[in-house]
Amino acid sequence: MTYRVALVGAGNMGGWHATHWKRMEGIEIVGVLDPRQDAAAALGPAFSDWETMLAMAKPDIIDICTPTPNHREYVERAAAAGKAIFVEKPLSRSMEDCEAIVAAVEKAGVPAMAGHVVRYFPEFAAAKKIIDEGGVGTPATVRTARLSGFPNITGRENWYANPDKSGGVVLDMILHDFDWLRWTFGPVRSVMAKGLFGSSRFDKGLDYALVTLRFASGVVGHVTGSWAHPSGFQTTFEVAGDKGLIAHDSLKSVSLSSSLRGAEGGRAAVIMPESPMIPNDDPYYQELNAFVQALRAGMTPPVTVYDALEAARIALAALESIATGKAVTL
Amino acid sequence: MTTTSNPLKIGILSFAHGHAQSYASEIAARRGATLAGVWDADAERGRAMAERYATTFYPIEAELLALGLDGVVVASENIHHRRLTELAADSGVKAVVSEKPLATTLEDARAMIDYCAARGVKLATAFPCRHSPAFQRLRAQVEAGALGDILAVRGTNRGTMPGGWFIDLPLSGGGAVIDHTVHVADLLWLLLGKEATEVHAEIGNGFYHEGYDDTGFLTIGYEGGVFATLDTSWSRPKTFPTWGDVTLQVVGTSGVMDLDMFGQQLEHYEDATGRVTWPGWGSSLDGALVDGFLKLCAGEDAPDIATGEDGLRALAIALAAYRAAEAKQVVTV
Repeated sequence: MTYRVALVGAGNMGGWHATHWKRMEGIEIVGVLDPRQDAAAALGPAFSDWETMLAMAKPDIIDICTPTPNHREYVERAAAAGKAIFVEKPLSRSMEDCEAIVAAVEKAGVPAMAGHVVRYFPEFAAAKKIIDEGGVGTPATVRTARLSGFPNITGRENWYANPDKSGGVVLDMILHDFDWLRWTFGPVRSVMAKGLFGSSRFDKGLDYALVTLRFASGVVGHVTGSWAHPSGFQTTFEVAGDKGLIAHDSLKSVSLSSSLRGAEGGRAAVIMPESPMIPNDDPYYQELNAFVQALRAGMTPPVTVYDALEAARIALAALESIATGKAVTL
Repeated sequence: MTTTSNPLKIGILSFAHGHAQSYASEIAARRGATLAGVWDADAERGRAMAERYATTFYPIEAELLALGLDGVVVASENIHHRRLTELAADSGVKAVVSEKPLATTLEDARAMIDYCAARGVKLATAFPCRHSPAFQRLRAQVEAGALGDILAVRGTNRGTMPGGWFIDLPLSGGGAVIDHTVHVADLLWLLLGKEATEVHAEIGNGFYHEGYDDTGFLTIGYEGGVFATLDTSWSRPKTFPTWGDVTLQVVGTSGVMDLDMFGQQLEHYEDATGRVTWPGWGSSLDGALVDGFLKLCAGEDAPDIATGEDGLRALAIALAAYRAAEAKQVVTV
């Protein structure tokens, strides 16, 4: 059968999802809900009203790509309507909202998956496989870093810059690391964090966080999150165990680099490292496809809203630690 | 550096710490100084070192110290730093440099400082990392305001597990945390010019599963709200291409600078050993340390050299980390 997908939110992530939905066999985008009708129409049949979209488009899957504060509302609506749900990360801005989302999904008994896409990034997936196979022995320490500039949105509200909506680099970005870490090393027992969130620096467009984790297994973890790097994007990780070490640096592990002369013929305008993949290996395609395959098989999706709640719990504990200056026990 | 006709007479008390060999060869290479003799509690090691560096082995500390030395290097197990430093100070030397950590307790470190001060002896702590040209360039850039206001620093001083007395707690006073906190703590002091106020630490033994700490992740708060983390772990496996690292990611309002102090390395693939190694080609930091120490021995000033107070300040952070791990909470330094 063909699954009918309705997108909620036609921003950056909605557009990215639409690209991959359109490439996938057995998928049809039947509706796109966004108050910005032009943006919605660029991705599929545009709707400005939930009820109308539900009635007219008759979707099987609701794909929620709104800013974080709207996740709960649309998960609850989709669950009440009995739809399969894909919801972007972070699940929500508060534990209360996260718990409401999980409760709504469980009550409705609908399949739901959260967009913790880093599990589908091939370098992270490959590392987990090696770790699971004992390639570093018993893990003892793990360090990850996710570094970029302060996110910007032009032409509409930059909700990332609103701490109450985005939760800053900790909830919006290194949440990815928390999920991958929890997936790979199990539950976290305590969180100690320092960061710029909540300070006047954040209001001036800077966020940086250093988060130390202690896992129930005894593994010690450290996550760096930066929205303070003026240019570029970089991820790094290192897992060290009693029989080995595995490490990655996205700026070193690249398959194509270019240094292009600027328009004036002078210095390079940008130096751009790339690691292109064949289209079906794209992490976003992989995660959406995994969701669809689970639906077809009648299986629980591989990344549940409960997983997303637990990742958010770590991130929110880190924000609490930043605010209080104390370690937080989970 | 002095080049008088009477070279400075330097003695080394103990080769228990491997760095002693580096200091010995640096001293031996300088025209203005001579390695007058060495003592070691391990006579076999002491004799071998005396032979290697073409000097005399003295089986009793007092015999070496009776030579009228200008300066003494203390490179024993950590627990003996205080006793040997005080012996050297009593002998009338102008300066003593102690291997890091300065001591295993704040009481011992303070006593060493006071003992030397009372006798007019300059006490130095062996912090070679502060002499790194890359660090000095970073520090100059920070002081010139290139990064704006400094907000945070992420540090690492990871290494291989050194074994020997380093993991014998009565001799070392601690494992990876006491061994590897102090270098970066000293760099942070120079960079920030601020005292650490609070420390949190996750400490573990997940690499070797023994009674000593091989894992240390510190979070350090500074006056004015600047924060730092530091990974002190002995996390490099036996097959790692080099001994370890010292790195700093310094984040400011105007940008970010990354220091990889020992990043000046080659990649060496060698079939004969079946290994890959990263031989370093950077400037000798121990050489810069020895140059400064010899100035102190000549009665000159050497403002770049870490003092006893610098050694104490860094030690206090390491010891606070152990307290924090015990308390499972942030503690004041």
